[in-house]
Formats: sequence, structure tokens, C-alpha cells
Amino acid sequence: LNALANLAELTSLNQERRLIEAAQSDPSRFAELYENNFHRVYAFVSRRVSSRDEAQDVTAEVFHQALRNLGRFQWRGVPFAAWLLRIAANALADRWQRAARGVEVPAEEAEIENDAGHTDAAEVERRAMLFQLVDRLPADQRLVIQRRFVEQKSIREIAQELGRSEGAVKQLQFRALETLRGQIRSGHE
Amino acid sequence: MNSRSIYDELDQAIDQMMAAPPHAEAALDAAEEASVRELAELASELRDLPRENFKSRLMLELEWEAAGRAVTADAAEKKSGRRNTEALPGLFGKAWSGYPVRRSNFALSAALHAVMVLAIGAGFVMVKSTLPRVDRSKEVSVELLPYFPPIGTKQSHGGGSGGAAEKILASKGAAPRAAQEQLTPPIILPNTSRKLVAEATVIAPPDMSLPRTRQIGDPLSDLAQPSNGPGVGGGMGGKVGGGVGANSGFGRGHGSEAGCCDGVYTIGNGVSMPRAIYAPEPEFSEEARRTKLQGEVTLLATIGADGKTRNLIVERSLGMGLDEKALEAVRTWRFEPAKKDGHPVAVQMNIIVNFHLY
Repeated sequence: LNALANLAELTSLNQERRLIEAAQSDPSRFAELYENNFHRVYAFVSRRVSSRDEAQDVTAEVFHQALRNLGRFQWRGVPFAAWLLRIAANALADRWQRAARGVEVPAEEAEIENDAGHTDAAEVERRAMLFQLVDRLPADQRLVIQRRFVEQKSIREIAQELGRSEGAVKQLQFRALETLRGQIRSGHE
Repeated sequence: MNSRSIYDELDQAIDQMMAAPPHAEAALDAAEEASVRELAELASELRDLPRENFKSRLMLELEWEAAGRAVTADAAEKKSGRRNTEALPGLFGKAWSGYPVRRSNFALSAALHAVMVLAIGAGFVMVKSTLPRVDRSKEVSVELLPYFPPIGTKQSHGGGSGGAAEKILASKGAAPRAAQEQLTPPIILPNTSRKLVAEATVIAPPDMSLPRTRQIGDPLSDLAQPSNGPGVGGGMGGKVGGGVGANSGFGRGHGSEAGCCDGVYTIGNGVSMPRAIYAPEPEFSEEARRTKLQGEVTLLATIGADGKTRNLIVERSLGMGLDEKALEAVRTWRFEPAKKDGHPVAVQMNIIVNFHLY
């Protein structure tokens, strides 16, 4: 089983290498690398900033930088995500330094800068999977999750917007979370 | 616990979690059941979910950046099939504007607008600079005076006579040209042995429009046979003088003395002076301004019964274009006409235009 897992990982890395080389020669191919890594970068960043807006800003900055510097990327057998998370860690460190000039960066945050590729990688993967899975929920469940947690609306407001009863919305909310939990469990098993 | 209570319990736990600050450990006391607590914990992570359109918008930004362009949020929303109804167009595109923006196009557009503004501005400056500058230190004054014919001081009905002591009356023909001075009176049978040739004229405003034929004569005569008339003095008629007509004098018509043309009066003797009601001042000519010429231009004008000026003659010239400037202005003048017995009549008068430099 380990050999199979290693083989799958090797195949995945080879595919990623080809994608990177393709994007280096044709920047329009960067979209595939973006699709594969968006939730990972966002999950990494969102855990370390205080607001959704800031998380989105940093994520956008990471991918813009990555696109601009893709030509200088050299393949060393490390997943592309590690390079992106390194960019993200540097971007966060820059932000903290700009926001608090002269204020010492907290030790926990400094750790990101030093070892972005390996710190809480599993947690990042789990959160990335969670965010990705939301996109795959049935439309009505996804809508309830977005309204409830992103727009922070009450059940009553969502029910009025969707023209459904509050009980029905609560039920959709419950089912959506239950679906996500089940898929995360199966993903980790 | 029925399923209904699980939904409520989860929702209460979520409300509790949402009330806590982001990334804080929520108490989740409302979730008694372990499975509900687990779902509430999962829900707390969903508070960090990105906005619905963020991923697609960023994707489009990257695609456009890869193609060397900038992109707008609205375009990204269009691509993702969603629409932000609160979005308003903006000039610079980035901030939720309605159109994709090429930076080069924007720069070109800005440059073109700048050139247009400069061209329009330059037009104003050039037109302004070519307009004649009116020097306020120069002043033109105008004086209106009654016209006094060179000979005679009475109301002018024009007229004259003369003749060569012939047996028959003056013959029919065109009236001679009017002039300020008479060098030679009109005669039909000129002296062929003359040494100095001069055109026959009568004394009257020179530019009066008169019917002309090849043969000069008295227009009121019925005789076709050439004759200067029985009078004396060199004119054509039965009395004394160098004019053409029935009475003595040097003019033309049935009146006496100089002048012509029944119906044009001189001011005085019951004929009022016309009053200018529209009289724009003449301008200085460029030549006169350069040479600092100043003085008076005297015009002889007929002011018609309709108040318009006619038959303008420069009686005293100043030159350097000032005569023309005076004529040009006086032609546009309008008068309240002179009156005789309460009726408007045409009169002749002098208009003196003073050009002064201060």
C-alpha cells in the first residue's frame, strides 16, 4: 500500500511538473495550477488573518506574485503548493511588519515565516478540503451555507429570501454540515 | 430527541458560535449532543469561507494578467454567471467598474483628450490674438451739421438754367453728371476748337444716381432737336447760369440756384434736423493708428424720409483709411427723419467724424 501511495504521489508530482513547465512557457496555462491550489492557499492565509477581506487580499497577492515569478521557479521535487505557501508566508510577514512598525512579530507568526511549508500542513489540507467541498454541495445547501456563514444572515432572513420556512432552512443547514463532515471523514480515511 | 430538535439545537449552537469573535473558542453550550457539537465546530471553520465570487474573480484577473491586461470585478462576475447589482461603473476599472480596461487604451484615450483640449484652447487664444485690439486711449467723436450748399442758402429744390441764346428751347437729353464744382457748363454743341477738355457737369451732390443717355440735355424738355436753349451763361435753358432747367442757376431742375432733385431739402426754414437713433462709432484704421493720424472727416449725406443714409460723399478727407472707416460706420446709421410740416422728408446734412488720439 505504501508503494502504491508513493507511486500515486510520484505520478501527481510529475503531472504538476508538466503543468508548471507548460505555464512557464504559456502563462495562460497557469489557470490549472491556480485551480489545484486556490483553496490550499486560502485556507493557509485565512487562518492567520483577522478578516475575510484580508484573507482574500493576501490570497490574490500570492497568486499574482506567483504568476509574475513563475519563470524563476525551479523544480526541485517539492510540491508547487509549498512554493505558494512560502510566498503567502512572506506576504503575511510583510503585512505584519507594515501594520506594526517596530512591533515584534509574535513567535507563533514568525514560525510561519521560517517553516511555512511544514507548519500545520495537515490542518491546511483539511481546511482546504472543507472549503472545496462547499463548492460541491447541492445548490440549495450551498446557498444556505453561504448566506449563513459568509453573509452572516439569520435563519429567518434566509427563509424570507428563499421563500421557504425557517424549519426547512434549518434542515438544509443541518444536512449541508452533515454532508461536509461525512466527506471530510471519507477523505481522510 | 427527534430530528426537529437536532436542527434547532444545531442552529442555537451556530448562533452561539457566530456571536463569538472569529477564531475564538466558542463555548457551544447549546450543543448537548456530541454529533451536533461536532457539526457546530465544523460550522465555525466555515466562517472563514471566501465570498462566492472571489475565486472566479481572481481567476479572471490572473487570466487577464497573463494576457497582459487588467481586469475588472464585474467582468469576473459576468464570467461566473453572477451579477452584483450594487456595482457602479468607475473610471479606473478596478473598483467594481463595468468594463475591462486595457491600460494602453486608457493612456491613449487620456492623451487624445489632452490634445483635443489643448487644440480647442489654442484656438481660443489664436482667435483672441488676431482680433483687433481697441485702444481705449483713442476716441472718435461725431458731429452732425446741416448741409449748406456751396451756393445759395435757401431751401434747395435744385435747379438752374442757362443757354446759348438760341431760338428754340433746350433739347431733351440726360442730365449732366453732378459735381461739387463746375468746370464747364453743359452744352450740346461744344466748341470744337477748345484746348482743354472737361466733362460738362452741374453743381449737385456728385454721386446722385441720375439717368444717363449718350446725349446730355434737359430731361424735362420735349424737343429732340439739339439746342442749348435761348438763355445765356453756358448752360441749357431759358434763363441765366450754367445749369439745366427753366430758372436761373447752376443746378438741375425747376428750382433755382445750385442743387437738384426736387424733394431733398436743406435743414432750416421749417425743416427739422434729423436725429440719430443708431450711430455706432467708426473705428480707427490700423494705418492711422500706426502713424498716429488724427483729425476730421467731413461727410455729406442724404438722410432719407425712412431715416436711412444715402449718397454719402467725403467732403473733407483725412486718408489712411479713416475716410473708409467713417463711411463704413455712417452707412449703418439710422435717423429719426427730418420733418417738414409734420411729414418726414429727405434732407442733406454734413456729418463730421473726429478721430482723436489721446
